[in-house]
Amino acid sequence: MRLSLNRPTRPPDEASLLKYFCLAPVVIYDSLFFLLPLLFLVWIGFWTVENYQAVPGFSLTNYIDIFSQLFSRSRYAFAIAQSLWVAATTTLLGLLLCYPFALALAFVVPPKLQRFALVLAIAPFWTSYILRLYAWQTVINTNGLLNTLLMKLGLIDAPLQIIFTQVGTRIGLLHYLAPIMILILYLVVCNIDVTLLNASKNLGATTWQTFWRVLLPLSKPGLVYSAVFGAIISLGDVLSGIILGGGTGKSILGSFPLFSTVIFNEYAASTNLPRTSALATLLIGIMVVILAAGLQFSAVEE
Amino acid sequence: MNQPVPSTTMAPPEADPSPVISQDLELRQISKCYGQQQVLHTINLTVRQGEFVAIMGPSGCGKTTLLRIIAGLEGIAAGSVVLQGQEITQLPVNRRNTPMVWQNFALFPHLNVRKNIAFGLTLGSHRKGEVRQKVQRMAALMHLEELLDRRISELSGGQKQRVAIARALITEPPILLLDEPMSALDPHLRVRMQGELKRLQQSLEISFFYVTHNQNEAFSMADRIVVMNQGRIEQVGTPAEIYNQPATHFVAEFVGNNNLFDGKVTDVNGTIITVQCPQGKIHTLSDQPHTPGDNVTVVVPADRITLADQPGALGNTIQATLRGREFLGSQVIYLLETTAGYEVQVIRQEAFSQSLDIPIDAELYLSWRTQDTVLLGERS
Repeated sequence: MRLSLNRPTRPPDEASLLKYFCLAPVVIYDSLFFLLPLLFLVWIGFWTVENYQAVPGFSLTNYIDIFSQLFSRSRYAFAIAQSLWVAATTTLLGLLLCYPFALALAFVVPPKLQRFALVLAIAPFWTSYILRLYAWQTVINTNGLLNTLLMKLGLIDAPLQIIFTQVGTRIGLLHYLAPIMILILYLVVCNIDVTLLNASKNLGATTWQTFWRVLLPLSKPGLVYSAVFGAIISLGDVLSGIILGGGTGKSILGSFPLFSTVIFNEYAASTNLPRTSALATLLIGIMVVILAAGLQFSAVEE
Repeated sequence: MNQPVPSTTMAPPEADPSPVISQDLELRQISKCYGQQQVLHTINLTVRQGEFVAIMGPSGCGKTTLLRIIAGLEGIAAGSVVLQGQEITQLPVNRRNTPMVWQNFALFPHLNVRKNIAFGLTLGSHRKGEVRQKVQRMAALMHLEELLDRRISELSGGQKQRVAIARALITEPPILLLDEPMSALDPHLRVRMQGELKRLQQSLEISFFYVTHNQNEAFSMADRIVVMNQGRIEQVGTPAEIYNQPATHFVAEFVGNNNLFDGKVTDVNGTIITVQCPQGKIHTLSDQPHTPGDNVTVVVPADRITLADQPGALGNTIQATLRGREFLGSQVIYLLETTAGYEVQVIRQEAFSQSLDIPIDAELYLSWRTQDTVLLGERS
């Protein structure tokens, strides 16, 4: 999917002035309330703390401090690993759940009902995230809805430990991510030319072969974009990790907090704002790498 | 709607000279409905081995549906599809080996030219060396050797079409289905591709089932033309037959450059029949029985009419007023009004300078030979 950039160049006229005029609010808003604070955050990361006071300057102290504590004391590496593990598995689960759904929406649901079905799928997104997390608490609590039901049915003897584990974190994240991932996947999948699928079958491919050789490769942009989206949101989210994951939720890696939770806690303790900024900058760096990799691999063509 | 619908406009079944498997494709009594609407009415058609058959008709006539039925992309209400003696009506799309060249080519954008061509071979258990060899041979045949490693987005329309044909032919199918493959090409390229396609079909000796709404394509390439209208076959014949002896009003009008005069038979003298039209008396020939009083239509091809300022001696003459003129290089198309509101077209191969002499609104005489006309029965 390559965009043609060969637009003819024209001298600026009224139309292009209007264009800039229309763009201006977005540019100004983003610059003032996103880009500037972000740059400020990165800048504070290079400040130092003297007598409990942040002192502006340019020093790598915070980063040296952080990297020296990767495996000792604060053990940042474990939190980063936990974050990456949870983000990766959540994203993969999200794709496994949302991709078939998007395919069904685009190819099975009658066109007239597609918009309606899409709205239904996205509807949870319009309810408060925090409320949804607390709702999930009552469902997955040790004495919650799910455990009570499973025990009543005699499927389990003791309650499942879901809450305050990273499984809980993932449930919260998935509930948040699914509508967005479905939307991204649907928009890409519903633009796939059905003729290409028919052409594949016409050339002798079974339904399964058509899926692997044509449909899946053509869905690649949607899969990559929604995966990047899911991974970045999962890495940055704090609430699910605290409310459902219990802060230091257990995963197969062990009971470590998410990196975002670490940053959140350090900020709440507010002992060293410059170092917290440096930690946040580190997380942003990881996100940028993921985003860049995603954009690199999103092309349909080989 | 499962019982066969009697069809009067259906072409009579043709006598096959050799009853051995000389036909690649046979469509028997095919009917197709979309909901309440019947879109194909008991279609019978055979495609002989190595024959180039063009299905021609206006959009919505069912020609593409027929093609999709052969490929298995559409189900049918009744009838059967027989490919090389084997009934394939119930076979799924992927087991028919009836590859198609699609209107917009439908090349896989995520694969390069080589992988597009090889697609049909890589699905089964073909050895890699064999695949490479066959792709190489097909690329040579379609003049694509230089382009094998290109992306699809880097190809021109003509190149895309050659890749689409190569991809369809790689499994050595008994028949190739083509769905308006020229419509995405520019007119200049279209004429060149027509020649190439015909040569390819003749050298491969496989049948082509070519759907088009474009007469030029059908007439320049096909061995036989099938004219369809509203889900029925109007006429099946060689290009010359379709052109010279249109069987129905629809064919006479669709094939174009024909003037149709409606009238009543006034006199029958052997095979010579005289028809009284609003424009005047017209003589025509017919071996069908006619009696005075029959409502008929006389078809006069536009390129058989001569124009003169005096009544001609060609057997038929009517008077008309010149209303318009169009120069197409060596050809000139004249539009004339006979009776009020009725326009007649005349096409003459004429030098530019000579045609300038006739002023617009001049009273002229149109004349033509009786044997150049075709007589059709009453409009249905």
